[in-house]
Amino acid sequence: MNLVLVALLTAGGVGALSAVAGLLAPARVRTAVVGVSITVSGAAAAVAGVAAMTGQGAVVALPDLLPLSGVLITVDALGGVFLAITGGVAVAVGIYGIGYCRQHGLNGRGVQAVLPLFVTAMLLVPVAASVGTLLLCWELMALTSLLLVVAEHRSRPAVAQAGRWYAVMTHLGMVAILIGLLVFSANAVDGSFPALRDAASGLSPTVAGLIFVATGIGFGSKAGIVPLHAWLPRAHPEAPSNVSALMSAAMVNLGVYGIVRVGFDLLGGAQDGAATWWWLLVLTLGAVSAIYGILQAAIGTNLKRLLGYSTTENMGLVLVGVGAAGMFATSGDLPLAGLAMAAALLHLVNHAAFKTLLFQSAGSVLAATGRRDLDDLGGLRAGMPATTAAFGLGALAASALPPGAAFVSEWLLLQALTHGLPTAGASAAIVMPLAVAAVALTAGLAVATFVKAFGIGFLARPRSPEAARAAESPPSMLTGMGIAAAACVGLALLPTLVLPTIGAVAGAIVGSTDPLQIDGMTIRLVGVAGSLSPLMLTIALMIGLAATLAGVRVLATRRAARAARLWDCGAGPLSARMEYTATSFAEPLQRVFDDVLQAEQDVDVTHARESSYLVQTIEYRRRVPDRIERRLYEPVLAAMAAWGRAGRALAPGSVHRYLGYGFYALCGLLILLVVTR
Amino acid sequence: MTALGAVGVVLQLLIVVTLSPLLTGMMRQLRARLEGRAGAGIGQPWRDLRKLMRKRPVAPHGTTEVFRTAPAVLVATCLVVAAVGPFVTTASLLDPVADLFAVVALLTLGTVALALAGIDTGTAFGGMGASREATIVALVEPTLLVAIFALSVPAGSTNLGVIVTATLADPAQVFSPVSLLAAVALIVVIIAETGRLPVDNPATHLELTMVHEAMILEYSGPDLAMVELASSMRLTVFLGLLANLFVPWGIATTGQPLLVAAAVLAFVAKVAVLGALLAVGEVFLAKLRLFRVPELLAGSFVLGLLAVGASFFLA
Amino acid sequence: MSESLYAQLLNLAVGALLLTAVLILWRRELAAIINVFALQGIALAVLVGLIALDEGSAELGAVAVGVLVLRAGILPWLLRRALAGAGATRRETQPLVNVVSSLLVAAGLTLLAYLVSQPLVALDPSPAAHAIPVAVAVVLIGFFVLVTRRLALSQLVGFLLMDNGITAVGFLTTAGIGVVVELGISLDVLLVVLVLQILKTRIREAFGATDIDDLRELHD
Repeated sequence: MNLVLVALLTAGGVGALSAVAGLLAPARVRTAVVGVSITVSGAAAAVAGVAAMTGQGAVVALPDLLPLSGVLITVDALGGVFLAITGGVAVAVGIYGIGYCRQHGLNGRGVQAVLPLFVTAMLLVPVAASVGTLLLCWELMALTSLLLVVAEHRSRPAVAQAGRWYAVMTHLGMVAILIGLLVFSANAVDGSFPALRDAASGLSPTVAGLIFVATGIGFGSKAGIVPLHAWLPRAHPEAPSNVSALMSAAMVNLGVYGIVRVGFDLLGGAQDGAATWWWLLVLTLGAVSAIYGILQAAIGTNLKRLLGYSTTENMGLVLVGVGAAGMFATSGDLPLAGLAMAAALLHLVNHAAFKTLLFQSAGSVLAATGRRDLDDLGGLRAGMPATTAAFGLGALAASALPPGAAFVSEWLLLQALTHGLPTAGASAAIVMPLAVAAVALTAGLAVATFVKAFGIGFLARPRSPEAARAAESPPSMLTGMGIAAAACVGLALLPTLVLPTIGAVAGAIVGSTDPLQIDGMTIRLVGVAGSLSPLMLTIALMIGLAATLAGVRVLATRRAARAARLWDCGAGPLSARMEYTATSFAEPLQRVFDDVLQAEQDVDVTHARESSYLVQTIEYRRRVPDRIERRLYEPVLAAMAAWGRAGRALAPGSVHRYLGYGFYALCGLLILLVVTR
Repeated sequence: MTALGAVGVVLQLLIVVTLSPLLTGMMRQLRARLEGRAGAGIGQPWRDLRKLMRKRPVAPHGTTEVFRTAPAVLVATCLVVAAVGPFVTTASLLDPVADLFAVVALLTLGTVALALAGIDTGTAFGGMGASREATIVALVEPTLLVAIFALSVPAGSTNLGVIVTATLADPAQVFSPVSLLAAVALIVVIIAETGRLPVDNPATHLELTMVHEAMILEYSGPDLAMVELASSMRLTVFLGLLANLFVPWGIATTGQPLLVAAAVLAFVAKVAVLGALLAVGEVFLAKLRLFRVPELLAGSFVLGLLAVGASFFLA
Repeated sequence: MSESLYAQLLNLAVGALLLTAVLILWRRELAAIINVFALQGIALAVLVGLIALDEGSAELGAVAVGVLVLRAGILPWLLRRALAGAGATRRETQPLVNVVSSLLVAAGLTLLAYLVSQPLVALDPSPAAHAIPVAVAVVLIGFFVLVTRRLALSQLVGFLLMDNGITAVGFLTTAGIGVVVELGISLDVLLVVLVLQILKTRIREAFGATDIDDLRELHD
């Protein structure tokens, strides 16, 4: 009974008990009980994950729990990473959910019972060690998240539509995973992961490729990768904010987990030279998702939809790292592959921290103002200082600038990509610069997006009466945000605490040694010349800031500042309507990328009655459709609708016809039986 | 190493802080003379800074701490970059920060601070300046990072000291296609990042043409002094990087006082020459329409990409 | 009883099953159809009783009595009550497939049943096994009646015919379904009849007749 096993059982047990508590507890304490137990469960899972990452493992086999396949649970280093991430997110979201659910009227038995089940299912997916167990936990996670997404369907009709999209896409993904894993286990002794690993070397390249692509479709859809991302920007805005945080910061990671587990661990794609095209595909899709996601986020104005598209972007960046790791591993450069994988894993950790913080702040804003659109927000600094600070911290982290958290992981990723040139051949000579360009464009657009989100949403003056009346969130929500903020700050300043373990895990995945070497507060790369010290950078920045302020204090005049009106060209005080909105902020970007976005714009000018040279009102409408949806999804949906309409001819309303179908089928089957015997 | 590093940091900070307004003054004076005007003299920016420092600070209604602290953040980022850049010595005291990606990201942080301050004013000018600046930053990033990539391939690292040392060790590399293409790409990037013609006119106050000036319209007094100093320092730092990454001769690799003094002079001379060339170029260029700027940046991106390709195929 | 007598009586009972099935297909008046159905119930009970005698099982005897009560007593009574409430439509005037063709189809279905059941018979050639094809034919004919009749009541009789046939196949193949299973099946059947009766009344109240084809008006 080692630490990992104890902690994992604690996490699972507390999760199950809190589901029961959610059903039975009285309404006054329900959210508090469930919230605290989710936090405890998350903390236990985080302990288990960290212990597993440092090398301890555990195996639990329950062959009779499920018919035909049994349940097999194995905690290894790779699973430990995701266990730790999910646990950490649950710790922050659990406490946050206490206040949020109470404010939003989500303290019904259904929601409070399903929430812990969702967290527990997410904790079980990384430790499942057989096909049956994995699919069971995956489906449990999908169902519970679906129930949570549609939790508010009575108050808003858009929720039901979002739920439908989510349900269909997640189950289609599940079918793809099922097909891939079933083909795999058909070629092996049974469905357990050790048996699959043994059988991998005997698979033909075509079958292995088919398995990778099938599971990649399912896992990629869960991670929100283009072109199967359509559920993400629909489900995240409509779900309650704590559920969105859980989904964006913990659930989409499991898509990446699946790809890494199947590709690197089960199929042995790092050693197989013929598997380079898998990783090239992963890298390409990752790069395209990153650019597309952040572009849609840059021009979007719905705050939570923007954050959802940002999740697509970050998962794309992670897959760029994973794909690069695979490409380097198959061409023999193992230290660089370890570096790329370490960058990807660190980015997952960073993303979990700042995305949780961002969704929590967005939920806080939504609870306080009831508004979702950035064009209606603004001026929240006065009423909600803590939330503003939290969102600012999260935005700094998300835009990959120092001293934010994602700067380190993006630095590692860029280092891996730029040093891959000499060794990996002519294809890499084309792919790597394009990958660097994609990462760079993503970084630039991310800066623009989060400047817009933070600046327009929180600074300046309020653009609507609800924003003017906003009040700060209750203490439980602030505590949750504080935990996530502490994680962001810790990861930004002291990534050297988590990097040794992450580097070791990354090296183990690709089959090399630790690609990173930590010297106190500096990260050094093994094998290539490169080092970075985020702490030193931040300290230098702080010293510079202090020196500047001191210099100004010394040199500038001692008179106190006076308040003045903003420059209004002498025309009178500026109203909030004259501020820049999110739509106008993003308009130059939208024009530059118009070929990709193809926005639909409408300008309606109403002239004054006296003269058509005078304007009374101007109305501007802009809609940016998701172009991939329009090109890919709408034809498929139209074909299915046409097929359904054609099928109506089979059902003209005559009961005799329907009975006849059964009769003919039976007779036909019997005749077939006789003839083919 | 550390003694040289410490001396280098102090010297670099001193030079950049004190001499960058003179660089701006020199450029303006050169432009004035070429345009047939008398000009205000090289020392005018320092006189402006002194005047601004004596004015009473003004804080507009409705702005938050972001507006009040952005100039300080901007100056702080420039100070850090000035401290770590390979201007006087290759051995930096803050070597783990002397990474080209880190330096670029720090400068972007400064721009972000200013953009947020622009939005925080709540005027249409501020928002407009921030919006345009954000677009330019987004489009400049790919070129910048690809150019860094091209620079790092021959040296095998993105550490500034290592790149400069590698160029010093192999002088012929400067004339390779990789270097030349990367240099041209970086020149366009520098013009865009520092807000010079043809991307942005630093002397304009027409709202249709402002980018940088629009963001700082509400600043006055000491805040404006900090912003003006920061923009001079940014220009100095960028030109210094361009000079010493491609033409690093004169930089001090050991701690002998004579070499260090020569390095200081070499740095000042190189930056002055580059500044003069930039000023002369600006006389003959008109500002591009905002939506022609992406075309310019796309062209520089292609050059950077070719540089990287050349570094592989011609290696 | 002796083997040959047993075989003869068994064949007689099973033949009666088939004959009643064909008669249901042939006759048009609903009252006659219900009477023939009751006769089939008696034949089924006799079949089960014969098997019980052969096996010497008291349990099966009880089942035979239960079958008699249910299928020859209760069900025909319920059907007659429904018929009494039906009113004018007491005749199946126009089945979808006319009577001559129906009879030909019944012959074809019997042939198909024989062909399909060959392996079952070959598995264990006992007198009970030889009777299986006939029971299967009854199932198929019952399905055919269900498909081709217009009035709800005749469709119900077709469904019950299918159930009789399935029960017969069950007893002939295993010779011991067990009281509980037979009880369960019979309960289901009873419930179906009751529910359909209620449904029929409702339909008649709403639309005036229970001509199934009129329900076509309800389609999309």
